[in-house]
Amino acid sequence: MLDRLSLLKTILWALVGVLAAVSVVRFAFGLGAVTNLSDAAPWGLWVALDVMAGVALAAGGFVVAAAVYVFHLEQYRPFVRAAILTALLGYAAVAAGLLYDLGLPWHIWHPMIYWQHHSVLFEVALCVMFYLTVLALEFAPAVLEHPCFARPAFQTIARGLRQATLPLVVAGIVLSTLHQSSLGSLFLITPYRLHALWYSPILYVLFFVSAVALGLATLIAESLLSSFFYRHKAPLRLLSGLGLGAAVVLALYALLRLGDLAWRGQLGACFDGSWLSRMFLFEMALSTLIPMALLCVPRVRSSLAGLALCAGLIVAGMVLYRVDVCLVAFARPEGSGYFPTWMEIAVSLGLLAACVLVFLFLVERLRVYDDPHVRGAPQPSYDPATLHNLLPDELAAPRRYSLAALLGGCLAVVFLPLGAPQPVATAALPARAAAGIAENRQGEPGQTLAFAVPDRPLPADAQPASLLVIDGNRDGQMVLFNHGAHIGRMGRHESCALCHHLSLPLDRNTSCFECHRDVYGPTPLFRHESHVKALGGNAGCRQCHADDSLPKTYETSTACDQCHRLQVASAALVPAPAARWHPAPGYVDAMHGLCVNCHEKSAREAPEHYSPLLSRCDHCHDPDRAEQRQPLAPSRP
Amino acid sequence: MIDLQTWIDWAGGPLFRAALAFMLLGLARRAALNAWEIVRAWRRAGDKQLPWRAVLRATLRWLFPLGQVGNRALFSATTLLFHAAVILVPLFLAGHVALWQPWLGIAWPVMPSALATALTVAAVVAALGLVIQRAASRATRALSRLEDYALPIVVGLPFLTGLLVMHPGWNPFSYQWTMLAHVLSADLLLVLFPLTKLSHMVLLPATQLVSELAWHFPPDAGSRVAAALRKEGEPI
Repeated sequence: MLDRLSLLKTILWALVGVLAAVSVVRFAFGLGAVTNLSDAAPWGLWVALDVMAGVALAAGGFVVAAAVYVFHLEQYRPFVRAAILTALLGYAAVAAGLLYDLGLPWHIWHPMIYWQHHSVLFEVALCVMFYLTVLALEFAPAVLEHPCFARPAFQTIARGLRQATLPLVVAGIVLSTLHQSSLGSLFLITPYRLHALWYSPILYVLFFVSAVALGLATLIAESLLSSFFYRHKAPLRLLSGLGLGAAVVLALYALLRLGDLAWRGQLGACFDGSWLSRMFLFEMALSTLIPMALLCVPRVRSSLAGLALCAGLIVAGMVLYRVDVCLVAFARPEGSGYFPTWMEIAVSLGLLAACVLVFLFLVERLRVYDDPHVRGAPQPSYDPATLHNLLPDELAAPRRYSLAALLGGCLAVVFLPLGAPQPVATAALPARAAAGIAENRQGEPGQTLAFAVPDRPLPADAQPASLLVIDGNRDGQMVLFNHGAHIGRMGRHESCALCHHLSLPLDRNTSCFECHRDVYGPTPLFRHESHVKALGGNAGCRQCHADDSLPKTYETSTACDQCHRLQVASAALVPAPAARWHPAPGYVDAMHGLCVNCHEKSAREAPEHYSPLLSRCDHCHDPDRAEQRQPLAPSRP
Repeated sequence: MIDLQTWIDWAGGPLFRAALAFMLLGLARRAALNAWEIVRAWRRAGDKQLPWRAVLRATLRWLFPLGQVGNRALFSATTLLFHAAVILVPLFLAGHVALWQPWLGIAWPVMPSALATALTVAAVVAALGLVIQRAASRATRALSRLEDYALPIVVGLPFLTGLLVMHPGWNPFSYQWTMLAHVLSADLLLVLFPLTKLSHMVLLPATQLVSELAWHFPPDAGSRVAAALRKEGEPI
């Protein structure tokens, strides 16, 4: 049976495996392959969870450091190292999360060189970089205690770092204060985008105060979880002290947040019944009101279950606050709703899992908590009856965790897209007939086409014409095509096949749209399954795959025109399809191939009949004309 | 209702990629763990003098089983035929190379179709032969687990279905169902490689070394066994 620690690590390794697989696709094929992010929703789960919430979750580091080193609350010293380590890993995860979120991750160093001192984000970037460095230096003495670093040179460095503790702590507090609040300041430029219940001119104060509460709650949760997984006693008295501190900070936060709403006259919006107002009430209750009330009761505060419940509520609620500000309460252009893909969620979970694994790794090897969790080397023992070795298998752990990571990663591969996202197929509209007029205007090449307006007399020099309206990509910029005049010009009804290359049996004017179904993408025409049915199942295979010994590929199969002799018009202007039919080109390519070639040829070879302007794009695509005629266009189906 | 071709494409596309990744990374994992254990055993060994030359010779000898025909000639021949077929046909069948080509961008020589058919039939027959011969002898019956009977069958499945896919005229079942069975059984086989004794394809070169190392005990092994048996100080 797995003990709870091994079970936890197995699950975490599986998540890391999924992360590894998703990372390959993310960095090989870009953001579009794995996220639902778009130009309208450029900030998604990774910013909300990994950056916004990640920074706030790591706030315990500077809070405890300030309590111990500045306010001399010496009883909390046992938490200092765990808090610093949590902060270090949290900020490392923020940096890693940013690498996933940045379109050009290799530009992450740019803020160091290219200073944009009007940007709040620039300040956040610099602060996070500096603070990550400060945290690494603060935690370094714990690493240098390990026997690996017994050499005097390392010990000199460790002594130097220990002497620099106080300046480092002060730098950490200053940097944290700056960027914890700045993450809120980021949203000050979006007063009309962020819902009134979340937007506030003191957003930066709210972010800072809530980060302090969240940091304390994270420390409590972490200490309780560590005592649960390592089966040692939790320091309840100290934790309840932290809990009381969290309650005080929560009270301040509630006062500020609700007071600000009341001051700005928005308090009524909490109860207007919209779902965002309910979200606000839910978030406030979860993050602040319920845990604050519970933590004020001494019996709850000093019980394991009570502390665990309150810490859990605060962590969930304050993370929700970040997600709300960043995603939920943030208005986007209509129709650009955002919900993360499973891969975005997998990356966030995977980074968290990786952090926890590193945390456990360091806790087991360094003196992070005061009572070391290092379990002594096992004594040799044999079962005297069977002589079986009772030593725990030293490789059991690597064996189990590597298998978990491998299974997680390969399971993810099944569902991962392999390649950049394909453009969404846009179905073409079939061309439709409309009554029109053709006008010979002075100074214009050829005829000018227009829709006929009922009950309006024809202008002089204008004749009625049967038009085709071609609006393949459905943008209203239609091309008007004088079908009647083309019939006359090309040689009456014998000439149909010049344009209509038949592909349906015995059909003489199959609509272009039947085969060229997508505006831009090709349409596959060959349907294997219907041929299998028509030719009588397995017995019919040999009609197309004559030679069993060859692989059954496109090239080795019987050509289409061996059976479908009458289906391709040999006189078509567009080159007749090859004997082996390819997918039909997209609507645009097919139309252009049909019209442009003939127009160019006519303008070149018969200049006495046609103006050179005939081969220009705007002869058919006339934006002015299309706009002018737009009101006359029949309503689109 | 998704049509069958979509399932075939899925089993031969994303599922196959995952199974292939699992096989390759899983075998690498087995090899790495094996190497780790070898290094660990060697570092603990009291007697670090390994007969390298003998180990190498034994390894090479067992890599070419023809020299080992000995008293079970039929079994050895079946094994050899089976291995030749299951290694060569999947890699050099023209239809498989045609599938790899657009993905990898390279093609390699293919085997003649008649040879492929013959080897595929051989693989199926040899798989059955292996099971029957294993069950027929009391000695091998005593050594065998369920896995040992099941694996030749599982390995034979993609070959049997592949034969039917290649020759639709011989196939009494629907072509697409046969193809789906072929692709799925191949995926299953790939997944089983690192999890079962099929991983001998990467572990085999080290088996002789492992057997040799097993006799190089830690220096204090004897006294520790005596202590565990509570027989310290007693004459051996």
